[in-house]
Amino acid sequence: MKSGLWKKMRRFSIPTLLSIAWLAIIGLIAIVYPILSSTDPKFVYENDLGVGPFTNGHLFGTDTNGYDILRELLHGTRLTLLVAVVAVGVGGAIGSLIGILSGYVRGKIDAVVNIIFSAVLSIPNLVLALALVAVLATAPDVNSTVSNWRKVFVVVLALTIVIIPILGRIARGATLSWSNREFVTAAKSMGAKNSTILWKHIVPNVLPAVMAIAFLAVGVVIVAEGSLSLLGVGIPDGNSWGAILAAGRNDMEYTPHVVYFPIIFIALTVISCNQIGDVIRQSLDRREARI
Amino acid sequence: MAGSGKAHLRKSDDVILRVEDLTMEFPAGGKNFVRAVSGISFDIERGETLAIVGESGCGKSTLGKAILQLPKPTSGSVNFQGQELTTLNKDALRDIRPAMQMIFQDPVSSLDPRLSVGKIVDEPLAIWNRGDEVWRSNKVDELLNAVGLDPALVRDRRSYEFSGGQCQRISIARSLALEPLLLICDEPVSALDVSVQAQILNLLQDMKERYGLTLIFISHDLAVVKAVSTRIMVMYLGKVCEISSPDELYSNPRHHYTHALVSSVPIPDPNVAARRTTLEGEPPSPMDPPSGCRFRTRCPAATDLCAQEEPQLHEVSTGHYVACHWPRS
Amino acid sequence: MSNNPMLSLRDFSVSFDTARGPLYAVRNVNIDVADGESLGIVGESGSGKTVLSRGAMGLLPKRAAHRSGTVIYDDHDLSQAPRKELREYWGTGMAMIFQDPMTALNPVRKIGSQLTEGLRVRLQMNKRDAKARGLELLHRVRIPDPEAVMEKYPFQLSGGMRQRVMIAIALACKPRLLFADEPTTALDVTVQAQVMQLLSELRHEMGMSMVIVTHDLGVVAGHTDRIAVMYAGEVVEIAPTKRLFANMQMPYTEALMKSIPRLDAPSGQRLPVISGRLPDPTQPETGCSFASRCPYVTDKCRASTPPLVEVAPGHSYRCWFPIGGSR
Repeated sequence: MKSGLWKKMRRFSIPTLLSIAWLAIIGLIAIVYPILSSTDPKFVYENDLGVGPFTNGHLFGTDTNGYDILRELLHGTRLTLLVAVVAVGVGGAIGSLIGILSGYVRGKIDAVVNIIFSAVLSIPNLVLALALVAVLATAPDVNSTVSNWRKVFVVVLALTIVIIPILGRIARGATLSWSNREFVTAAKSMGAKNSTILWKHIVPNVLPAVMAIAFLAVGVVIVAEGSLSLLGVGIPDGNSWGAILAAGRNDMEYTPHVVYFPIIFIALTVISCNQIGDVIRQSLDRREARI
Repeated sequence: MAGSGKAHLRKSDDVILRVEDLTMEFPAGGKNFVRAVSGISFDIERGETLAIVGESGCGKSTLGKAILQLPKPTSGSVNFQGQELTTLNKDALRDIRPAMQMIFQDPVSSLDPRLSVGKIVDEPLAIWNRGDEVWRSNKVDELLNAVGLDPALVRDRRSYEFSGGQCQRISIARSLALEPLLLICDEPVSALDVSVQAQILNLLQDMKERYGLTLIFISHDLAVVKAVSTRIMVMYLGKVCEISSPDELYSNPRHHYTHALVSSVPIPDPNVAARRTTLEGEPPSPMDPPSGCRFRTRCPAATDLCAQEEPQLHEVSTGHYVACHWPRS
Repeated sequence: MSNNPMLSLRDFSVSFDTARGPLYAVRNVNIDVADGESLGIVGESGSGKTVLSRGAMGLLPKRAAHRSGTVIYDDHDLSQAPRKELREYWGTGMAMIFQDPMTALNPVRKIGSQLTEGLRVRLQMNKRDAKARGLELLHRVRIPDPEAVMEKYPFQLSGGMRQRVMIAIALACKPRLLFADEPTTALDVTVQAQVMQLLSELRHEMGMSMVIVTHDLGVVAGHTDRIAVMYAGEVVEIAPTKRLFANMQMPYTEALMKSIPRLDAPSGQRLPVISGRLPDPTQPETGCSFASRCPYVTDKCRASTPPLVEVAPGHSYRCWFPIGGSR
């Protein structure tokens, strides 16, 4: 009922509510906009090249190519979010799987996994992504080109690989802590199989901790994607916020708004993700303090 | 004093658990290892309550878990109902598990905070696929009632909503679900208030009678143990000091360590309290235990012999065994 | 030694805001602790004894806990004092040792640094003097090899040693009043005896007053001058120690005594228990708070709250039908 929902909402602070609202809005845009709108984000407004915001019906202005910034941003929301969600989702799943198994089994396997995680984590995210993209998505010679979809795929792959040890470490640490609890010994003494213990006891307790960090990771990935674009190896052709940002960089002197608006979108999204992640973490801390 | 020596092992048909020369070692950095339990032997007859008493670090908790093979002891034998547990393969061991259950010291950490109480108590039944859902639901209600909790109020709530004493009741209910023969209680009341302790101790007694259990009760508190046990084994630094019946042990402790333990129990009587003697110093590190008798560094009666030769358990009166070269008289 | 009490609580109450309404943890407590006296406060979990001791010292979070009534320490009224003023009294005036030494000590700092922190901040000692005094304190709490212990971390020490370190830290600035909040509950029986003996000796050496908060009557039997028994946030009986044990009046005190397992009791018997549970602290009831669990309850007990009555000098209790008196 409406009153019930309102009551639930009141539990959250204003920043949290705003964060949920923003994420809901861009989520909706990502799903709906490219289907609904019939207009092409790459439509060139020949009379309005490089105009500022609020001119001639262009809310965010246009860039020097004549593209409407607002349209580009709305259109690019889908790919940006897709990349982030897939990278964190798949990377998180793989990382958690490895981390949980490693933390539960311990011994030599855990030592090896730990070394691998540490090794990958010690490479700066951007350098790693750059290397992967360079290897997998660069044409062997100057004349042939690599397809756009391949570039997108490689960017997602690189970011996924970066996320795996980040969330994997969290999962492993949480698993180490939870598998020491006496209810795990109790389950073993009852004759529960390891698979049952992992699935019924460890995973449900570890997952919330991982989820809290996963939200933060989404923000990190969006920024990373933007950085890759600025380095020239990100999503091509202005189809994501980072790409729009990168494309507008050269013309910053004349049309700064081309850069400001993507930055605002990215910043709002990252802040919202951080806020939600923080709220999840706080409620976890409170719950664990009682235990 | 030594854990070696099997003078106290009995031969009757009622013995359901027989532990011989049990040793438990843990790696402790580099090439060192810690012997938490050193060559301990004891047995327990059906229907007994054996109390294992000692300070923190004496190895009693490790001993309890080693009996259950969690993890397997480094060496020694654990014979349960005629079966040698240390040599069983994984599946055979698993099949025996329902007959031996354990309850733990920390009432809250023994329960999965994510599960409802009903699910927690049902878990052992679910693992072994006992009965159908209706039967299991009734069984859970029966168990919760048996431990003094109202199923309707308790089933759907989570463990963190309950007090320590109530959590311990839930643990007990869970451990009884598979109708075990042997119940090992690892410091079950140490984390509880004195008034709640009494309730849980009474509950354990009741459950023992109702379900025909044999109990191993591990504790550091002599007074608590006296109320529930039929036989007491005192441990120090991984070895056995003394074994006897409770009344005999308290009125006539022959080992110097037991005597110090008995004297340390706080007596709620201001006139008596002032005269207590206290044990000096700290237990030595289990990584580097004293040679010969391990208690000699804190013993008022230690001699050179105690440093050279480890004392063996010998009978000083019927059913009363001591491992000491110079037992008190 | 002055004649004024070291600590005086009048009509002292503490309540917390919770989701279910105000929680009355401590209700109208009147207690004095004389200079050099040792007072035991005994009660179950939830009786309010820990909240009382922390509230008296001013350690409760200001936003969540509402204190009312007066707290006078050594003639200074601290009832409404801001944290800044309270800090002046912590360490040198009032100090506290806590139940679990593992969580009360900082696990990532060496013992030496934790020990000397108070000395350097409160007494403004320099590094060398503070270290010397630190060694002296460790020696005083009977820690063998103080030099080595100064360089260790808390996890490298046993429970008993950590508790001694905590005592040393609490005593570093020579407080006049020491609160001991369940000082022995986390320890083995043999170590409990040692720690209590240590506290008694130190108290006499330093002429301190001490308040020992515990759920175990046995622990305070031989180490206190007076004992106050708390139930559901109120003091239900208070008397000199010997008198309390010899002549207890309140049925709750009697029930508490009886539920303690004793060495001299016959073995294999059921222990007498107090049936029922503590009343809900968010719903203060009319009548005696122990009525729902008292074996001698009558209608009068449920109808009206018994006041605190003094039956002999220093011995007060709260009961309509005390054990020793007329029924």
